[in-house]
Amino acid sequence: MKKSDSEIDRRQFLKNGAFAVAAIGAVGVGVNYLKKLNEENALTLLRPPGAIHEDEFIYACIKCGLCVQICPIEAVKLAGISDGLSYGTPYIDPLAQACDFSCDAMQCVETCPTAALDFIPFKKAGEDALTEYQKANPNPGPDYNPFIVQSQSMKATTKMGIAVIDHKTCLARNGKGFKGSPREDGFKGVYRSPNPKREERKASPVNDHIFDRELCDLCVTECPIGETAIIMEEKIRGNGESIWRPMVLDGCTGCGVCVMVCPSTPNSIIIEKLEMV
Amino acid sequence: MINLKKLTPIPAKRREEMPNSKLGITFKEWKASKPNKHKWRNIRWGVLLFFNFLFWASFAFDIGVLEGSLSGSRFLGIYLMDPFNALQEIFIGSRTGYFTMLTMNFFIGFFIILMFYFLLGGRSFCSWLCPYHFLAENAEKLHNYFVKKRKIKEHTYNIGIKYIFWVGFLLLAVLTKNLVFENINPVGIISRAIIYGPGLILLWIVVLLLFEIVYSKRFWCRYVCPIGVTYSFIGKLSPTTIKFDLSKCGHCRDCQDVCLVPHELWFVKRGEATKEIHFAGADCTRCGLCVDVCYGDALSYSIRGFDKIT
Repeated sequence: MKKSDSEIDRRQFLKNGAFAVAAIGAVGVGVNYLKKLNEENALTLLRPPGAIHEDEFIYACIKCGLCVQICPIEAVKLAGISDGLSYGTPYIDPLAQACDFSCDAMQCVETCPTAALDFIPFKKAGEDALTEYQKANPNPGPDYNPFIVQSQSMKATTKMGIAVIDHKTCLARNGKGFKGSPREDGFKGVYRSPNPKREERKASPVNDHIFDRELCDLCVTECPIGETAIIMEEKIRGNGESIWRPMVLDGCTGCGVCVMVCPSTPNSIIIEKLEMV
Repeated sequence: MINLKKLTPIPAKRREEMPNSKLGITFKEWKASKPNKHKWRNIRWGVLLFFNFLFWASFAFDIGVLEGSLSGSRFLGIYLMDPFNALQEIFIGSRTGYFTMLTMNFFIGFFIILMFYFLLGGRSFCSWLCPYHFLAENAEKLHNYFVKKRKIKEHTYNIGIKYIFWVGFLLLAVLTKNLVFENINPVGIISRAIIYGPGLILLWIVVLLLFEIVYSKRFWCRYVCPIGVTYSFIGKLSPTTIKFDLSKCGHCRDCQDVCLVPHELWFVKRGEATKEIHFAGADCTRCGLCVDVCYGDALSYSIRGFDKIT
């Protein structure tokens, strides 16, 4: 009996189709397995500002890299295959290059087309700050710049994580001062000093800044957020001796500038994601 | 295609109706009298390489013309979305309630891509832009060479299984709440490698290409890639396509030899065509290889219905 063309076609489709279904199933099992492995791994990746919860972020991010391209200081990078399912998603390594809010307007968040970095809270914070400011100062002077008012509150809204200080290696905690440039030779990271003159608002290399402190407090003075995020706190010990130590407050955005400028070796500060704390 | 086949074919042309007979020469002489052209291939490769170069240059030199990568980009400030990624996002979002969070830029980008490729032929994305296509197209030549030398055997599958993969990848995305396909998508992987620098994941591309060279011709593009399937849905109705004119055809079927999706040129076989004018279907990538090779200009680019207006 001679089989017709359409009969052969149908049989081939069923045979190959079964193979396709099996392949899809195999990919599904593999993904589920990787997902379990990934759950802990993904938490070590510090996401850019405005990132939604990791469970949602992993599917919301389409790995286009627009946030990487817009970042003026190249703080955002794409994860490699060693990060499993997080491959291609953006992260920030504050030890190499922290987010110092150089762009002033959360550009990586604003550029994200899928709202994996969600701009809505920032937009709202900016608008609220502006109305509040205008209420408080009905007749603003010539120095009034609405952009800076908005930008300040947008920065403070960021919550990438929170800085955690290791008191064993912290120079201040051990009563030590610091002289010189904070990082090893050849370090390429840049940041914008938080108290610049108006003309010097550009980011400059970390090692161009030379410090001379009797008691090291770089993490406090260089913080782009200021005293709502980190302060030097005095503590009186049992024997009456007083020591000073940096203290992280609720206002910390997890931007990681303190990690980048911390001069101690090994580094005394890490950023922990909120999901982890 | 299945419906069309139910139509009765036009009886095969008689010998004196063949284009060479009208000129009074043999078929071989007629074919030899036409020069080898690579016009459309060269234009197409130029476009493909230019846009991938533009992606790279936009980031490398910070000129910001075409930012992002092929999974999502911004051309002169206008957002563009990979349609299969967008579909997955919409499906997952409908399940988790994330849908309402998606930005307006996302929907604008998705809509612009759909409209653009509707006008320009759907799977034209594949042959005119996709960097994996460029590699696979050249790997296919190598594969054909090995088959010709009888070093390897040809393995073909049913082309319908790509729809199973399309549904499967969408289901997987919804069930696992993860953009599963984007992790193994050679288009995105190569695009990101070009723009952001290579990584270990390029090994996957090497494996795919090797498989296509030594085992099954164009395995990924023909049988798996759901991006191509998404574009083919749009291309099904697209006005820009390849037109086939039966009266100019000599049935040499050289076009099927060079075609990247030969099943779309089923009507060039002697005695198969059911109409005087045929248009290539959804899977056609509008690459123009058949237009270049055709000796009698029976195949040409055309805009469907345009000749009726003018």
